[in-house]
Amino acid sequence: MRVVRYVFEWFDKRYDLQPLIEKNVTKKQVPRTLSWAACFGGLSLLMFVVQVFTGILLLMYYKPHPASAWDSVTFIKSNVPMGWLVQRIHSVGANLMVVLVFMHMARVAYFKIYRSPRELHWISGVFLAVLTTTMAFTGYLLPWTQLSYWGAKVGTEIPGAMPVIGNQIVKWVRRGDSITGETLGFFFALHIWVVPAIVVGLMLTHFAMIRRTGISRPL
Amino acid sequence: MEEQQPHDSGLSPAEYSRRRMCQVFIGGMAGLSAGMVGFPLVSFMARPESLDLNKPLEISLDQLSPGQALYAEYRGQQLILLTGQAGTLVFNASCPHLGCNVAWDSANAVFHCPCHGAMFAADGQVIRGPVSSPLRKVPCEIKDGKVIISAEV
Repeated sequence: MRVVRYVFEWFDKRYDLQPLIEKNVTKKQVPRTLSWAACFGGLSLLMFVVQVFTGILLLMYYKPHPASAWDSVTFIKSNVPMGWLVQRIHSVGANLMVVLVFMHMARVAYFKIYRSPRELHWISGVFLAVLTTTMAFTGYLLPWTQLSYWGAKVGTEIPGAMPVIGNQIVKWVRRGDSITGETLGFFFALHIWVVPAIVVGLMLTHFAMIRRTGISRPL
Repeated sequence: MEEQQPHDSGLSPAEYSRRRMCQVFIGGMAGLSAGMVGFPLVSFMARPESLDLNKPLEISLDQLSPGQALYAEYRGQQLILLTGQAGTLVFNASCPHLGCNVAWDSANAVFHCPCHGAMFAADGQVIRGPVSSPLRKVPCEIKDGKVIISAEV
């Protein structure tokens, strides 16, 4: 503890951190009547961070190819030390994140927190919810099981119901007429980089806006 | 934990011990959490033991054709499997001179060392070069249509 204090004081002397910490952490003011329901947003963020870390670990063994995807996931689950745990946290965590995001949205909708001046918080949040489900959907294909395959097949068929452009969208999403190795590669790229990068950018905007307007006071 | 005397902090003994207890509990919870995250993380980074480095190398005979060499890696060593009239021979590709990996020249049926021009016949004997000992042979057995290498190299 003495070492921690010493290191902290070294930085504090140079960068004057104490007031920053007091303002944002130790003496941060929140409305007294705030309930635990206000935590769902922060918990969604926590789940995202968990997903990023477990996802990086899974990437060390996962092979995005139709011939080896299933084998590599099986290898992670049965041979890599603690691989079963990391894989399970990633898959259960994905479901949990979707649930938490929707609980967060439900609370914001129910208490009408989306009203002025917080309209853009809600709009950016809706985009984040769509991107969260996109991450969940693209990740579901990656283990390349029967469930993944048919899940992706049914899911990518949905835009086909749209008139005129529907079938083109289906072909674009599948990278062809059916779910193949091309689809796997495309979903892999979306899942590990494209969507999470957009999510990080949008989240930072979301948080900056919340800091600016302050958290909504319960009615 | 920082040693704080009650009279230093201006707290009464009861408050002091309560604060101390909170510090210990919060510190303990933080340590426990760090362990719960750290242990699986460190374990995951370890090399999986099922990736057995000592398991025999098995190569199907279908992959071999007469007069052609097949390169393989076994326990960190580069091997050359050469199929000729005498059957399949396995050589350690490392040149006995200074350890460069030799290559099979199928047109002239010789091994060439790229570093100092050593040349070896198909049976590993020296033809030319700054080296006097032949290429090292690696014992192998042929079973069920497979070449199996299990020797130390």
